[in-house]
Amino acid sequence: MDNGVDKAGAEPAVKYVSSALFVYTRETEPLVRPMLENSQRAVVRPVTIEELMENPRKRLSGMTHVVVAGGVDVIKEVLHLAMRYDFSVGIIPSENQRDLVRSFDLAENLEAAVAQSLRADAQAVDLIMCNEKLLLFRAVIGRVPLMDEPSSVSRMVLLASAVKKFLGLKLLRFDFTTGGGRKIKTAACGCMVLQPHVGTLASRLMARNSSFTDGMVSLLITAPLSVVSYLKFLGRVIFSPSGGSRRLPDTVGYIRSPRIEIKTERGLDVTIDGEQVTRTPLICQALPAAVRINLGPASREESRKDQPAAEKIDVANLPRGRELDRARKKSAVPFFSYASEERFRDLFIALREDARVDQTYLVLMLLSTLLATVGLYLNSASVIIGAMLLAPLMAPTLSLAMGLLRSDLDLTKNSVVKITGGVVIALGAAAFVALLFPYRSITPEMQARLNPTLLDLAVAICAGIAGAYTKSFKEILQSLAGVAIAVALVPPLAVAGIGIGQWDFAFFSQAFLLFCTNLVGIILAAALTFRMLGYSAAVRGKLGIGVVAVFMVLISIPLYLSFQRIVEKRTIEGSCEKERFLVNGKYLIIQKVRLGHHGDKDVLVLDILARDMLTRADLTKLKEKIQNNFTRKMVIHAKITYIP
Amino acid sequence: MLLAAMVVLFGGCDRRQAVVPSGKTIKIGVIAPLTGTNRAKGKEGLKGIRAAMRLEPYLQNGDAIELLTEDDRDEPLRSLQALRRLVRRERVAAVLTLSSSGPVLEIAAAADKYKTPILALVATHPDITRRSRFVSQLPFDDDFQGAVAALYVRDELLVDRVAVFVNPDSAYSRHLKSTFGKKFQSIGGRITDAVSLTGDADDYESILKRVRAERPELIYLPIRAEEVMRIIEKADKIGWRPEMMGSDGLLSTVLAKYAKKAHQLDGLRATDLYSPEVPLTPYGKKVAALYRGEPTSYAAMGIEGYALLMDAMNRCGDAGDRACINRQIRSTRNFTGVLGKISIGPDGKADRPLYINAIHGGNMKYIVKVY
Repeated sequence: MDNGVDKAGAEPAVKYVSSALFVYTRETEPLVRPMLENSQRAVVRPVTIEELMENPRKRLSGMTHVVVAGGVDVIKEVLHLAMRYDFSVGIIPSENQRDLVRSFDLAENLEAAVAQSLRADAQAVDLIMCNEKLLLFRAVIGRVPLMDEPSSVSRMVLLASAVKKFLGLKLLRFDFTTGGGRKIKTAACGCMVLQPHVGTLASRLMARNSSFTDGMVSLLITAPLSVVSYLKFLGRVIFSPSGGSRRLPDTVGYIRSPRIEIKTERGLDVTIDGEQVTRTPLICQALPAAVRINLGPASREESRKDQPAAEKIDVANLPRGRELDRARKKSAVPFFSYASEERFRDLFIALREDARVDQTYLVLMLLSTLLATVGLYLNSASVIIGAMLLAPLMAPTLSLAMGLLRSDLDLTKNSVVKITGGVVIALGAAAFVALLFPYRSITPEMQARLNPTLLDLAVAICAGIAGAYTKSFKEILQSLAGVAIAVALVPPLAVAGIGIGQWDFAFFSQAFLLFCTNLVGIILAAALTFRMLGYSAAVRGKLGIGVVAVFMVLISIPLYLSFQRIVEKRTIEGSCEKERFLVNGKYLIIQKVRLGHHGDKDVLVLDILARDMLTRADLTKLKEKIQNNFTRKMVIHAKITYIP
Repeated sequence: MLLAAMVVLFGGCDRRQAVVPSGKTIKIGVIAPLTGTNRAKGKEGLKGIRAAMRLEPYLQNGDAIELLTEDDRDEPLRSLQALRRLVRRERVAAVLTLSSSGPVLEIAAAADKYKTPILALVATHPDITRRSRFVSQLPFDDDFQGAVAALYVRDELLVDRVAVFVNPDSAYSRHLKSTFGKKFQSIGGRITDAVSLTGDADDYESILKRVRAERPELIYLPIRAEEVMRIIEKADKIGWRPEMMGSDGLLSTVLAKYAKKAHQLDGLRATDLYSPEVPLTPYGKKVAALYRGEPTSYAAMGIEGYALLMDAMNRCGDAGDRACINRQIRSTRNFTGVLGKISIGPDGKADRPLYINAIHGGNMKYIVKVY
């Protein structure tokens, strides 16, 4: 039985065993005849599994090769005997033994399978024993939804199964100890010990990390921190190209070691190759080159190349620290992730820095507000935009959002102090400029910031989402989102400051309301974005959410009132433009109407088209007719254009 | 929970206190054309009155209201006879009339004798209030209507040349033609033709051809709906489609009678008392809910007339005091009607807005409102 290889690299000459014992069951008895009539001229002695197990020493006497055809339990029996009696094994798979075919790259056609089973070039492969039970394909502890589904199942079936199996997922305490003595305490939904090439979705993940002859036990641990993250992982697994990914998904850990011990808080059932045969604690041991099996050509080639591998532990994605508290409470996997500070260290360090008041911040706030105020007076949108580029408001706003989300009092307090300081400087700077220009009129750019609407809130929400998103990913230029946030905050602050400078409370209050609305909108949107990205506290804090909710309620009252005023204004302006007046025989056409406010008075400004000259008496009559339509007293201003 | 309780408590309360019937009945007479050519006007108006009565069947002092109706077929003599019966025999406290200007002018001449307040709900001739101290008008008068029409046509449609059609046997049509013509010419416009329609035998086609030769940009039509429809059909036949404008009640009538020919009516404008697109007042919404179907201009006038009369009666200590009722009618200030506010001055004339509507796509569309 030599495996001579042709020097030119062509297919080596195939040699077959001269004799073999054929072990069969009642179901595989029809294979006896093809085995006896094999074209490889091997002398085959058929025997049932029962006969073999009755007296294996006698049955195996003189035999160096055994071919087996039967269920997985029968194959395992034969493999146990092969370890004891040192014979090589050929396997003939039945039609429904897909795992077997994929695992050992076996031929499916009967004639080819018979020929393969009688080859004389069996390869030494490792076996895995878990609690003294032989593992041929996989062992599953806990729940590993879809990881144990065959990869040949259609995507629609997988997705439908995903919906069903995600309900009630829980994180359980697991303690792993490797052969090298490393202990890992974590929480997971479940774990799976598996052989390579079993054709499951899980095996695609570790395709590059294991083989038949590495002398290692491979263990995959699934620990989704949230349903969202798990769905993302499964989407990746389902739709990724075959061969798996170089990087493990966020919700999966991997251990490879010659020996792995698995303990759980309470005993869990262990299913080995589809049968529940034992419970945790589980000890899985690799038996290197335990048996020699006739493999298919691809597996044969691979096993020739493999070298014994080193222990590998990749558990960075698994819960640790405060995240384990959640597992201890044994509550279901949340929809969104809850993450510990250890996991996102860099981000939190940056946010804490951003919450501290420094000279740069104060100077930039001052300069940006001065520039914005001048831009408002010039009615120049480009100058105002320039001011927004300078404004440093994004950093403390995002820090505040994160602080409230995680109920981090220090972070929240520092952020509030920084924002408040910036606001005071902005208001003061704008008021100072307003005092320098006391006779300047209100420009359209200022007017645009006096009536907060839901659209302004929409701008703030988009800016908040953008800010939180860019903060979470270092590769995105954060200044882009910073401008978006400044758009919503700096101009209204400047207008409010102008109101202070002009001693106009109504002016100040409208603009400041817009600023507050936008600030609360940004904080809420940023907090929600952080939440969805998985930055919530491992232990949920209600205080932060409660504070933001109270602010939302408080801000929504004046916003609603302002909105009502805007609706009324639009209604009046819209209806007035279809109105005409016949005053003392003179026909007046209302072309345009604007409803404004001056202090606590309503001012109706009318653009009127008239043919005849209007006298004071006409205007008085006109005013009477207009006033009759309103319950509130109106100040009426008329601009009259005459038709010659 | 507190908020919900407050909503239930206050939401369930009606603004007016519940009326305790006094056992006394006050009679109100209604004169309307319930048969004859103009019966639609009378029937719709009466339907409006009854809807308003369902909302307010009692005066605030608990007196019940009884309606007594008389059919005058929109004829002056019958109208006078109806008034006589209502006042002398039935001793009504007030009269609401849905008749046209002609019959109302007739009863106005006799109204002072009966010293019974009469509220004209659809008649718009200005002399109605000049002939009697006891007749008041709920709609605007034709001096207002004609002037507004002329000014709208000149200043908003920018039309220089108008032809006018008139029914010489209708005081209403004659007055509008005159008012419109005078005003239009006073503001620089030109009346190219004034056509008197004398009856069914009129050859509309040759008339229109003659009118067309003068190149008017618009035709003013203070005439009956049937005549307007004939003019439109004949104009289409000769391939001529000038702008057309009519007067109050025209659009409701043509849409009701000639719905199948709606495509021919597109673009037809008219002055009116009412517009379906203008939002109803809270009172208007309440009554509209009780009115079965879509209220027309005449129904709206019926509703407002009844409500205004009730308001005047409530302001009198004695609801049977006719002189008091008349005074109160003529001192109505900012009364909230179906679409907006109405005032009636000491001269009996109403101060209320006029609507200009147009037909588009088979529906009446609101264009402008003139105060």
